[in-house]
Amino acid sequence: MDFLNPAFWTFVAIIAGIYAVFSLGLYVQFSLAGLPNFGHVAFMAVAAYTMAILVVRYAVPMPLAAGAGLVGAILLALVLGIPTVRLRADYLAIATVAGGEIIRYLAMNLPDLTGGPIGSIGLLGPGQIALYNGDWLAFLDRLAGNLSGVVGTRVSRDAAAAILVWLLAGLLVLVLWRCERSPWGRVLKAIREDEDAVTAVGKNVFAFKMQALILGAVLAGVAGLLLALQIGVFSPEDYQPTLTFYAYLIVILGGMNRLLAIPVGAVVFSLLYSGTRLLNFFPLSLIDSGSRAFLRLFLVGFLLVLLMAVRPQGMLGNRRELLLEK
Amino acid sequence: MSAVLLEVERLSRSFGGVAALDEASFAVDEGSITALIGPNGAGKTTAFNVISGFLKPDAGAIRFAGRRIEGLRGDLVARAGLVRAFQAPRVLTRMSVLDNMLLAGKDQPGERLSLNWLAPRRVAVRELEVHRRALDLLELVRLLPLAEAYAGTLSGGQRKLLELGRALMVEPRMILLDEPMAGVAPVLAEQLVEHIRRLRAERGVTFCVIEHDMDVVMSISDRVIVMDEGRVIAEGPPDAIQRDERVIEAYLGRFAPASAP
Repeated sequence: MDFLNPAFWTFVAIIAGIYAVFSLGLYVQFSLAGLPNFGHVAFMAVAAYTMAILVVRYAVPMPLAAGAGLVGAILLALVLGIPTVRLRADYLAIATVAGGEIIRYLAMNLPDLTGGPIGSIGLLGPGQIALYNGDWLAFLDRLAGNLSGVVGTRVSRDAAAAILVWLLAGLLVLVLWRCERSPWGRVLKAIREDEDAVTAVGKNVFAFKMQALILGAVLAGVAGLLLALQIGVFSPEDYQPTLTFYAYLIVILGGMNRLLAIPVGAVVFSLLYSGTRLLNFFPLSLIDSGSRAFLRLFLVGFLLVLLMAVRPQGMLGNRRELLLEK
Repeated sequence: MSAVLLEVERLSRSFGGVAALDEASFAVDEGSITALIGPNGAGKTTAFNVISGFLKPDAGAIRFAGRRIEGLRGDLVARAGLVRAFQAPRVLTRMSVLDNMLLAGKDQPGERLSLNWLAPRRVAVRELEVHRRALDLLELVRLLPLAEAYAGTLSGGQRKLLELGRALMVEPRMILLDEPMAGVAPVLAEQLVEHIRRLRAERGVTFCVIEHDMDVVMSISDRVIVMDEGRVIAEGPPDAIQRDERVIEAYLGRFAPASAP
């Protein structure tokens, strides 16, 4: 692969932006409200599947189907949250891990609904190729055309997508910035520290936690929609629990409890993750590409362990705050 | 004294066969400082936990300001004007002292996510009021110079002061204090006693205090309730309680030499 190929880096930029949005959802749940959601990827999957099924099977217009996808993510948050959010954090962790896997296995084993293991491409049954993102690509082409007119040079479809995704990520950061600094954000942070103390001053902890879970689910849903629309085809395998852990890495890498660290973390993670793809020079080129992909994950893991050892507060975190006992 | 503010009637709660509260009944008058005493395991903290909605009672009734509150959720009890502090102070260590106070502010429209966007002025106005009240109360509990410090850097006694200040942010009619003097440096303990007296006198706040230090109990309280094995065994003014035989038998007997006036 060519190191200098701009198309590759544009693609990395899109994925980084989508990961940023995805991780912002986890930030609201985990960093703000202290909810250990280990099934974050399920919100992504539900939004993507709902959207694709509605578009392909019922010819629902894409924006409407995307809205329905977000509603699907909210419903999942309610189903997972109502029974568990009241309990200790551990139970939510277990329920969300299980919930995430249940969604993936359902997608795998309900071929009539989801296309089964082959994924979205099989949504119309065997023999037909199902595509759901035609409207999206047309929209991007129009956008790229307009942008080209403004900038003066040709803007590719992917470049338009990258700009769009990052504008959205930036907007969401601003919105969350304000939310975090509002009394609402103050209550969430306090819940993270000690929910009994928050109950004792008259706040309904359950309601606030559910709000955080739902807001996070919506953000994950948005990321799921963008990813599905951008890639054009997905299968249950694309919603492995690893994706949730990538979001955790981004949250931790950038710095716990720092909103601005999320986009930074997403970029660094994507550079590490995609950049290691380029480790195909001698002597690494002696290893076959499958094993090299393995090595790549190993290297990402190693760098993260190193970071934790040297800088546990993350790149932008506050060490003093981290060292205070609860 | 005036009317009854809190009335507990035949309140029971057991944990796996052990009756922590066994039909306990008592009342706290409005504007009083009432001490709740008794040997370890008498059920005092359980009583606080049930009254404040942190535990559900098995049986019995609790009336606060004429309203039944037994089994009510903790946050609703607090909002009804009955606020508790914890035995081990529970300040939010990774938030500033001021943020600890602001959190507890009553009726904040900014706690509704939507209103931050739909009615930002209303949110800002209320935030300013809450802020002003927080600074006033921090001054009252003498923590104003530490307003910007992380609460986690405070000493045990300062944390108790902060918890008291935070409880006051809820604008309570009554505060439950669970061993406010335990583990507090003598100077701060004196301050706490003074704060409790002043808050009662100036703001009419009613206090119910679990306390082991008999000197404090005798000097601060108008009324003493004595519990033993989940029941209330005596109730009355402090000097009468000190002479009560059942109390001496259950409790004071062991400490009488140290606490005799």
